[in-house]
Amino acid sequence: MLKIENLSTSYKTIDGDVRVLNNINFEIHDNEIFGIAGESGCGKTTLLKVLYDIIDFPLQVDSGRVVLSVRENGGTTAYETGKIRNAWWKHISYVPQAAQSVLNPITRLKNQFLDSIPEEYRKNEAKEETLKRVAQYMEELSLSPDLLDAYPFQLSGGMRQRAIIALATFMSPSLVLADEPTTALDVVVQRGILMMLMRLQRKLKNTLVLVSHDIGVHYQITNRMGIMYSGSFAELGRTDDIFRDPIHPYTQMLIGALPRIGDKTPRAGIPGRPPALTNPPDGCRFAPRCPYASDRCRAEVPEFREVRPGRFAACHLVQEEAS
Amino acid sequence: MKFTKYLGLRLLTWALTIWIGVTFIFFVPRMFPSDPVETMIGQIQARAGQMDPLQMEMLRRSLRVQFGLEGSLLEQYLSFLWKGLLQWDFGPSLMSYPTPVGDIIRTYLPYTLILTMTSTILAWLVGNFIGLQAGFRKDRRSSKIMEGIAICIYPIPYFIVALILQIVFAYILGWFPLQSTIYTFGGFGPFIRSLIRASILPALSLLLVSTGWWIISMKSLSSTVAEEDFVLFARYRGIPSGKIGRSYVMRNSIITQITALAMSLGGAFNGSIMTEIIFGYPGVGGLIQKAVLRSDYNMILGCITISIVAISTATLIVDLIYPLIDPRIRYS
Repeated sequence: MLKIENLSTSYKTIDGDVRVLNNINFEIHDNEIFGIAGESGCGKTTLLKVLYDIIDFPLQVDSGRVVLSVRENGGTTAYETGKIRNAWWKHISYVPQAAQSVLNPITRLKNQFLDSIPEEYRKNEAKEETLKRVAQYMEELSLSPDLLDAYPFQLSGGMRQRAIIALATFMSPSLVLADEPTTALDVVVQRGILMMLMRLQRKLKNTLVLVSHDIGVHYQITNRMGIMYSGSFAELGRTDDIFRDPIHPYTQMLIGALPRIGDKTPRAGIPGRPPALTNPPDGCRFAPRCPYASDRCRAEVPEFREVRPGRFAACHLVQEEAS
Repeated sequence: MKFTKYLGLRLLTWALTIWIGVTFIFFVPRMFPSDPVETMIGQIQARAGQMDPLQMEMLRRSLRVQFGLEGSLLEQYLSFLWKGLLQWDFGPSLMSYPTPVGDIIRTYLPYTLILTMTSTILAWLVGNFIGLQAGFRKDRRSSKIMEGIAICIYPIPYFIVALILQIVFAYILGWFPLQSTIYTFGGFGPFIRSLIRASILPALSLLLVSTGWWIISMKSLSSTVAEEDFVLFARYRGIPSGKIGRSYVMRNSIITQITALAMSLGGAFNGSIMTEIIFGYPGVGGLIQKAVLRSDYNMILGCITISIVAISTATLIVDLIYPLIDPRIRYS
């Protein structure tokens, strides 16, 4: 479905290039919800932008590529970095982070739907026909079709986010990328939106990539997830496995810091701060904060490798299990 | 129901603005040390020699009546409001006595309006179109060139642009008359032909300078809008860029420009003094200039009253059409 090969990107600044993604390799499969977790500034949004092929100055791809393969007209078509934009909205769509300001403030929602539906998809039908299909789709998502006549400023934050999700999924794309879709919403609305995304994924049997700093969200809805630290993945695998048995020290400490119902012992945070991307440490990026770090960790960058079937980690301390 | 209340309130402010403005221009000339009646009597005496004191007293009184300078200040003020503001009767002009001010303005105003309105509207259309291209498609070479030209022309003082046009096209090339002559006799054909011939250079000079302004303002407006999240998201939805330019960038940046257009159209009633002087074009601007030079109070009062009414009406119209173009205002 989506293959990421040796991807490295950096931001151009006056003080030189700042490497943000470091040699990333992974795959996202058909019919799954894939989560990308990590703290602020670790490169989640940058990764998502490259996946969606939004490569605008000052972001640049230094090496590697993203390949999107979709079923089209009976066969399979592959779109590569630089060409993925030709598949925008038909095969791959994007639910942005700041959903509050992403709709044109002075046109009704129905026009924004019509704008997003390409001519070839409308099959020469009249505007009213297309709008009827949109209204029907809104009802399937248990949204009122009256929303179509509203202006964005008349909707609440949660409603707007739901409308955007409807907009992003109306053409049944094979891949939906959602960047922090529940940020700035209260927990009740958050849950509603997560359920909506989950139901949609099950119905369309497509792939949903969900970026969130909220580890609880990943536990609730993702099938597989990757945990990013300072520009690359620390650990990647099935969500259940990661929560049950975290391998990487960073993941272990992260999950150890989660509060649990009934457990009243104070939770320990991870001491220290993530390294500045302008001046990263040699060796493992997590070594300065890692309680198990050895001299090797401080000198040599650990390889991101499959340590168990379907389970990847970047740590010198993890022994590969004989399969 | 809510709208009628808004309309009523808005009309009240409109009337209040006009009243305050008119009151100002009524009292300010009356604080001048010179007396127009005495000035005129002095002129008559200089031309006609000694006069009979009794006749002179009668002349003085009748002039005071005609100039609206009779009675106490309050009486003058009330009769000015009644006759001037409500009946558009500003009395006779002093410089072309005894023609009424209203008649003179009525002859000059159409020329001014034809010139300023057409050049304002044309400049607005052209300037906003180019400005939108320059702001939305920043990387195109053509938009960079157009913006560069606008930036070069815009800061040149207006009278220099006008003089250069005058020198090149009227003096050296001789395509247009040095001073505008409009044939008001000899039928419709010669009239229109002479009007067009006389207005091309003044209109061109106004166009050049104001188009530059519209380009620069629209460019900065639309390039800000083009960076907004909703425009980026429209791009990520794969919407063709022409469509984004029209329905997303233009519609969101034109609102400010419509206000500015209405304001400049209101100002069009003032005429453009500089244009009319340089090209010798007959209009209200030149009229105001002459009236000031020759202390024609009635004329000054008349011209300024018209421009106060025009500008406040333009603002009123903007406020009333705003809800039609911006739904955020309509629903709040």
